[in-house]
Amino acid sequence: MRLDRVALSNFRNYSTLELALSSGVNVFLGENAQGKSNLLEAIAMLGTGKSFRTTRDAEVIREGLELASIAGTATMRAGSVHLSCTVTRGARGTRKVYTVNGQAVRYAAFLGRAKVVTFVPADLHLIDGAPSGRRGLLNSALAQDDVRYFRHLARYQRAVQQKAALLRSGEHPDAALLQIYDEAIVEIGTELMLARDHFVRELAREAERAHAHLAPHERLTVRYHPNVPFEGATRDAVITAFRARLRERAAAEAQRATCLVGPHRDDLVLELDARALDVFGSQGQKRTAVLALKIAEYTVMRDRNDEAPLLLLDDVLSELDDARARALVAVLAGAEQAFVTATHLPPELQAARRFRIVAGAVEAA
Amino acid sequence: MSAPRSLAGPIAALINEFSKLPTIGPKTAARLVFHLLNRPRHEAQALAEAIIAVKDHVRLCSVCFSLTEDDPCAFCTDERRDASTICVIAEAKDIYAIERTGVYHGRYHVLGGLISPMDGIGPAQLHVKELVERIGSEKPNEIIVATNPNAEGEATAIYLSRLLQPLGVAVTRLAYGLPIGGDLDYADEITLAKALEGRRHL
Ligand SMILES: Nc1ncnc2c1ncn2[C@@H]1O[C@H](COP(=O)(O)OP(=O)(O)OP(=O)(O)O)[C@@H](O)[C@H]1O
Ligand SMILES: [Mg+2]
Ligand SMILES: [Zn+2]
Repeated sequence: MRLDRVALSNFRNYSTLELALSSGVNVFLGENAQGKSNLLEAIAMLGTGKSFRTTRDAEVIREGLELASIAGTATMRAGSVHLSCTVTRGARGTRKVYTVNGQAVRYAAFLGRAKVVTFVPADLHLIDGAPSGRRGLLNSALAQDDVRYFRHLARYQRAVQQKAALLRSGEHPDAALLQIYDEAIVEIGTELMLARDHFVRELAREAERAHAHLAPHERLTVRYHPNVPFEGATRDAVITAFRARLRERAAAEAQRATCLVGPHRDDLVLELDARALDVFGSQGQKRTAVLALKIAEYTVMRDRNDEAPLLLLDDVLSELDDARARALVAVLAGAEQAFVTATHLPPELQAARRFRIVAGAVEAA
Repeated sequence: MSAPRSLAGPIAALINEFSKLPTIGPKTAARLVFHLLNRPRHEAQALAEAIIAVKDHVRLCSVCFSLTEDDPCAFCTDERRDASTICVIAEAKDIYAIERTGVYHGRYHVLGGLISPMDGIGPAQLHVKELVERIGSEKPNEIIVATNPNAEGEATAIYLSRLLQPLGVAVTRLAYGLPIGGDLDYADEITLAKALEGRRHL
């Protein structure tokens, strides 16, 4: 897909902005604190409805004002689509309204219309960071890929929260109720696990291939590490393993008053020549693996949808050494559309469409 | 947004009161206040009295926990209503949605919420014990659980069905369906899947 136009109003340091974008690579250039990342953040919100920098939506509203909006027109295989996301600060909290072609829609109907893959400096810690970051990669890709995954995830998290609250509620939590939450956790959690298992197989294949280009003498492996191990990715196998594990851990869950079993504790395992990367990898090896993983995320999202996602890179080129930066630029070159921020134009991107950003104003350069 | 400071005390006070109501923001509250200022005094008087009357005269039915002036309520005492079915709902306001359909003529039982440990609500906080007692004394044939199809509504419905079935009463749930006039293309996948599961012979 291609984002043709984006319009902002009172979004972060932009008062108003109307911008025509090109296919291929668009580079946003500028000094620090001018609004490069803000613009990238706005574009990402057109796809995910959420900021990649904050969970407090009100932060994106221009200081002192009450309403921020992002609108965009994209060209997809199915035709042209107009998307908007409006964030309002109100007495009872922040409200977001999404529209598709002028019709107000619920978040689930907005999510994934414009698919995006973002790569920001924080992602460089995907490998040595907490498992939640790696689950975040899976969730973001899968929720955009299939709205059913998003709905299952929301319901699953709710069931886990309710069960945890029940476990904390006293010495003898209602056994009948506990069983009802466990059944919901198994039923919905199984869907999440099967979707992740399937996705990670594709992700692993692409990541291993990308990695072989970057570091031909080392072999990366990526594996799904479900909290509930299962043999054979069938619904019945997962359900059986899940129920057994819940029974085994019931006493521990009661004692620690928390949910210990299920895909909210899943992880990805990355190994280099069969050794755990997070423990044994050097900084450079970890960066190469992250890069391979991000390239794979983009490739899998593209191949699953028959429609290339938007690729958004915030400041990462400057964080990579020459060889890795070149590999990333090669992916950029193959992307239908990409957005890159940088303080200085990387030499490999001389041919890209350039925009200069100064204090919330953007000019073609 | 708070009311502009230049407004006189009573205006600001009423805007503030209206803004506390559900679905009413400060802008709507201001519109309501200026509307009332343009209406004759007796209209305002009638509104104020109706609000107080609701608080003074409406209470919970001691049998079904719906809102009523007389205890027990009309739903519980009307002999023409079918005493063999009890429809269980979360909130008293849900009765009005079901009554509007015009197809249900049985009795009601208001739970007073849904099971949600996160909010400190378990079966003991709801009118579940009273429902069990009613089944013992009124001997209905069927309990229809009409809770919302969200996570809390589902958990509550399953809990009730397991609790009540052993008492020898049939427990049913509302079928999930497609909105009438809706388009198959636009139904979300989960609604569509549930509608398929709940399909019927023609
Ligand atoms: N809600 C807001 N209202 C007004 N200004 C804001 C808001 N949020 C952020 N800003 C301003 O936006 C600027 C930062 O913009 P941005 O993060 O896009 O910088 P950048 O161009 O990416 O810089 P760098 O190269 O340092 O990453 C800061 O000056 C910040 O004060
Ligand atoms: Mg930045
Ligand atoms: Zn009654």
